[in-house]
Amino acid sequence: MKFPVSFSRQEERAAYLFILPAVISLALFTFYPMINAFIISFKEYSLINPDSTFIGLTNYKDLLADPKFISSLVHSFHFALVVIPVQTIIALVMALLVYKSSLVSGLFRTAYFMPVVIAMGVASTLFKLIYNKDFGLLNSLLHSVGLPQVAFLSDTKLAMYGIMLLAMWKSAGFFMIVFVAGLNSIPSDLYEAAEVDGATRLQKFFKITLPLLKRTMTFIIIITTMDAIKISGPVFILTAGGPADSTTTSVYFIYKMAFQQMEMGYGSAAAFILFVIVMFISIIQLRLLKSDVEY
Amino acid sequence: MLRLRRSMVVLLIICLGIMVLSACSSKKSNEPGSSEGAASESSASASQEENKGDGKKIEIKYWRHDFAPEVDAIKKLIKTFEEKNPNVTVKMEVIPYGDYETKIRTALAAGSPPDIIGLDGPTLAAYAHQDAVIPLDKYMDMDGNKEDIAAPVLESLTYKGKIYAAPLNDASIGMFYNKKLFEKNGIELPSKDPQQAWTWDQVLKAAQKINDPANKIYGIDPGWGLGEGEGSTFVKLPFIWQAGGEILSPDGTQVKGFLDSPESKKGLAFFSSLYNEYKVAAKELPPEAFETGKLGIIVNGPWAISGFATSHPEFKLGEDWDIAPLWKDAKQVTPNGSWNMAITKGSKHPDEAWMFVNWVTGVEGAKVWYQETKNLPARLSTASAFPELSEYPMNIFVEQSSKFAHPRPVTPAYPVVTSSISKLFADIGVANRDIDEAVDEAVNTIDRALQKIK
Repeated sequence: MKFPVSFSRQEERAAYLFILPAVISLALFTFYPMINAFIISFKEYSLINPDSTFIGLTNYKDLLADPKFISSLVHSFHFALVVIPVQTIIALVMALLVYKSSLVSGLFRTAYFMPVVIAMGVASTLFKLIYNKDFGLLNSLLHSVGLPQVAFLSDTKLAMYGIMLLAMWKSAGFFMIVFVAGLNSIPSDLYEAAEVDGATRLQKFFKITLPLLKRTMTFIIIITTMDAIKISGPVFILTAGGPADSTTTSVYFIYKMAFQQMEMGYGSAAAFILFVIVMFISIIQLRLLKSDVEY
Repeated sequence: MLRLRRSMVVLLIICLGIMVLSACSSKKSNEPGSSEGAASESSASASQEENKGDGKKIEIKYWRHDFAPEVDAIKKLIKTFEEKNPNVTVKMEVIPYGDYETKIRTALAAGSPPDIIGLDGPTLAAYAHQDAVIPLDKYMDMDGNKEDIAAPVLESLTYKGKIYAAPLNDASIGMFYNKKLFEKNGIELPSKDPQQAWTWDQVLKAAQKINDPANKIYGIDPGWGLGEGEGSTFVKLPFIWQAGGEILSPDGTQVKGFLDSPESKKGLAFFSSLYNEYKVAAKELPPEAFETGKLGIIVNGPWAISGFATSHPEFKLGEDWDIAPLWKDAKQVTPNGSWNMAITKGSKHPDEAWMFVNWVTGVEGAKVWYQETKNLPARLSTASAFPELSEYPMNIFVEQSSKFAHPRPVTPAYPVVTSSISKLFADIGVANRDIDEAVDEAVNTIDRALQKIK
């Protein structure tokens, strides 16, 4: 039996050839910079000077004692803790409203999805105008219904919520679509059977829809968590980390250290601490949300 | 089946996690590049000789930030320069202001910098300390006419006894006020004489009379809002200097005993009181508040005169608004220093690069530069060549920069200094933090950065 061996070898070779481009690009653009960054994180490394010195764990030790880094982590987690549940619920509600296809639902799906298509830079610039304390759209609306002004851009206690609102407005539509896909994959005979047994709408939602959405939910929560902890885009444009650093998130802190203050080593070390934190959270989430429902 | 799927998800998570980092690290892979840079440097002098010998065209790369009137001026100067020096071409690359520093720094890190870079005064020490730019003393002594450059400007360009950049122009700021709002509230107009600057107290009283938040009219914006950025630090530092305080010791190595001195804190306390005690300054302003008549007093520089004229032609200098010298307290102090040109260490043609730098910043070039940009001149010969510079409003800036100018601290740790200072002002302004506590935090951050340099 010679033929199958050489055939499988040939197959193997072809397989390697097929994955080669992916492996090369991963190695070149992901693993090489990552390993390099890991090495830099142990160095005193100025952005504009190629000469650098190894300083062991000093960067990591300094970071853990740096109140600005700690508070940037707190800001990122504050953001994540609010955005993950609120955004997921909003996305689910929107999905429930539009998942059955009809002419109107198509219109609303498009409308809800629209913010996802808009570039973050454009959206942030628009929100900057909308949030303006005296002349922004938001405060004009609040004023016209007799509510007090909200200074999303200049109140240190509120600024983070301004960023959250923008981020949720921007990405809820995307997760809505994911939920719609999840909802449509639930077999309709389950609902029919439940109806025969006399289940109410609420019972159907909690006993059938939610359990069967668990896998979709896992995906959404993990992705939202990672997105939330690395939030930085709207921070750049809307508040530039201000007022008084109240919206400086971890990624924005890393950017500031590495590129504004030119301390590449320090910034890389901060990036690695963040990486480890994100990885641990994701692994824990995966364990907790392990789906045991099969259908 | 389930296990396999789970391991796939774990892999996915790791990959996504990596993306967090790759966004920051993509620009870091520079070690091979930098050794290349060093190699080309050693052969620089050799290739320069060659180029001169066979009359080949030499290309000089020049990077600067985007600002339309200045870019136009440079284009004109490049044209005349190339006519005069047919064997040298100058390629200018214009980079948006917000990305400028990052782009220069990554190019330097990758070992492929342009020959000439635009350099903002206070970042000079950091670039010089890291050997990214070369000293210009030998060129300055040769044909740079350095005795013609205003002394405070030259001082701000000197690091460890060597000059590292040639100044395009100087900068100063004044008190811009809305004349109509002053007259409406019966406030006596401030003098235009630089010797008769208003005191903090007079400024506060005027701001209190103008301030009318119910009608969306605000008294004063004492320092370009509360955001970050070098411009913001530039206009805020004078509060500390005017009270008699300092940021760093004169040699730039100590922060303790300077930024946390009672005088420095007095300046910070006054700034904070405008926002929190008297509430004459708004924590958030609509865009273009001054030009649209919603703001009584601001600080700004000569560049804003032509800026307002183009963006708001209906808002006229002399009718709607006027300029007075910057206010004073224990001392009369104004900030100085602006953009300069420096030659990078990676340049293969430093001599030709200097020829162009001197063409733009030299005695004749500086005159063209002034005519085109109306920036405050850094050269004494320019100041005396134009009569309008001794007339209102330019005389205010010219006189301030020769009599009351105070350079920003020259230290390689300046990037940390500027971000700590703008954070400090935001802390005490918008967040109304305790001044002692906020100052201690800034002093510790700056001190740590200063320790690293030694």
